[in-house]
Amino acid sequence: MSDTNDTSLKTPLYHQHKACGAKVIEFGGWLMPVSYTSVLAEHKAVREKCGVFDVSHMGEVRVKGPQAEAFVQHITMNDAAKLKPGQGQYSALLNESGGMIDDLIVYRLGVDEFFICINAANRAKDFQWISSHAKSFNIEVTNESDRWAQLAVQGPTSLEAMLAIIDPADRSTLEALPYTNIAKARVAGRECLVARTGYTGEHGYEIYLPADHAEKLWLALLGTASKSGIVPVGLGARDTLRLEACYLLYGNDMNDETTPLEAGVAWAVKLNKPGFIGKEALVQQKANGTKQKIVALKMKEDGIPRHGMTVYWRGEPAGFVTSGSVLPTVGGAGGMAMVASGVVENDELEVDIRGKRKLATVVKRPLYSAKTK
Amino acid sequence: MNFPSEFKYTKDHEWVSSADSKIGVTAYAIEQLGDIVHIELPEVGKELKHGASFGTIESTKTVSDLYMPVSGKIIAVNQAVLKSPESLQMDPYKNGWLIQISPVGEATGLMSAKDYETFVAGH
Repeated sequence: MSDTNDTSLKTPLYHQHKACGAKVIEFGGWLMPVSYTSVLAEHKAVREKCGVFDVSHMGEVRVKGPQAEAFVQHITMNDAAKLKPGQGQYSALLNESGGMIDDLIVYRLGVDEFFICINAANRAKDFQWISSHAKSFNIEVTNESDRWAQLAVQGPTSLEAMLAIIDPADRSTLEALPYTNIAKARVAGRECLVARTGYTGEHGYEIYLPADHAEKLWLALLGTASKSGIVPVGLGARDTLRLEACYLLYGNDMNDETTPLEAGVAWAVKLNKPGFIGKEALVQQKANGTKQKIVALKMKEDGIPRHGMTVYWRGEPAGFVTSGSVLPTVGGAGGMAMVASGVVENDELEVDIRGKRKLATVVKRPLYSAKTK
Repeated sequence: MNFPSEFKYTKDHEWVSSADSKIGVTAYAIEQLGDIVHIELPEVGKELKHGASFGTIESTKTVSDLYMPVSGKIIAVNQAVLKSPESLQMDPYKNGWLIQISPVGEATGLMSAKDYETFVAGH
């Protein structure tokens, strides 16, 4: 558990994390806080009050120009033409075989301008892929990942925390901001982009802010603690929160060889829009039927499922656990598994936990859903 | 951090009591692991050699093996920590013992509390 690796990247908030007493680990080449107090306490804080996450390791790519919409349509699976300025959508970059290069959020900032948020570990791969397909389009693609810090403010009191530090002129915009939309707003004195999105299953916001504003905004958010109950939250609870909400984690739940139809995000695939990379493969897969799919599972017996464990169905190996953990809010243990497509809700599975087969049940996704999001 | 002087310690962060041959994990290990959410321990009667895995301790993020500090036969398993693994965080020593053994042969390669403290300070 070394945190002195010179080649590791640091977010602008690294020193703040150390000052908060964070346990720091390396994650995808970044030194990130895994927890400040305890994963379970931080998880609970987000479900009941509010937490702030430093997610500055995430990447941002801007696509601008007369053919921006046509280009985003070409490289992503969701229908970006449906987006009005200020709206965003979950989507993915696919390869020709329909495999997911990355999942991402596409925001439309203007008629000819899109802002795409990508996963930290895929920053270089995505930018290279996007650039390599941009040549025949009249657009400009910029990797803005180093310019932006990103903070996620998540939980039932997140609006309260945000209202306390946002410019009064922008309050009504924030209060009216619909789910997945994005707006410019002055937060703690500087212009930022605020999106109503998140990775926890709670009501919340993701703030894109200039990297040199990160410390000021971080401290301002923590300064609302007496009213909002906000606490800093590390990657440990980020993972248990997203798992209960059944949000996919790239590299664990899916990769370049997994199609969105298999990964349970077919709702974000628009096969009726004009051609896009990977469409042909998905049309074919849809016609032939998928061989595997993601399901949620809950353990009936003792034991915690973990990534890579074999899953048995009707006595035969039928897949593997993609993500597993204790489920702090739901109770017990569970997760997600990629299994044979014949598996249906309420089926009994067995998870091979270090050589012992433990019973689990297939349950409806998500494992947890908030009353309001 | 507290490392009782009446125990001996391993590099894998187990402690063993020479008085009653109870075995557990140290406060340092608990701090490194974070929230303890699951523990697996062997059946009473099982015989295990020095260095063999006698179970696992699991935090929200990781699973770690537990290793026998000495060879011996399991004569008791702490059912209370199996039921509430989080209790280890409050007390990894007195009520937080994991197994009790009937030792076979001499214990070798164990550290005193003072040596163990120096060992973890170097991490």
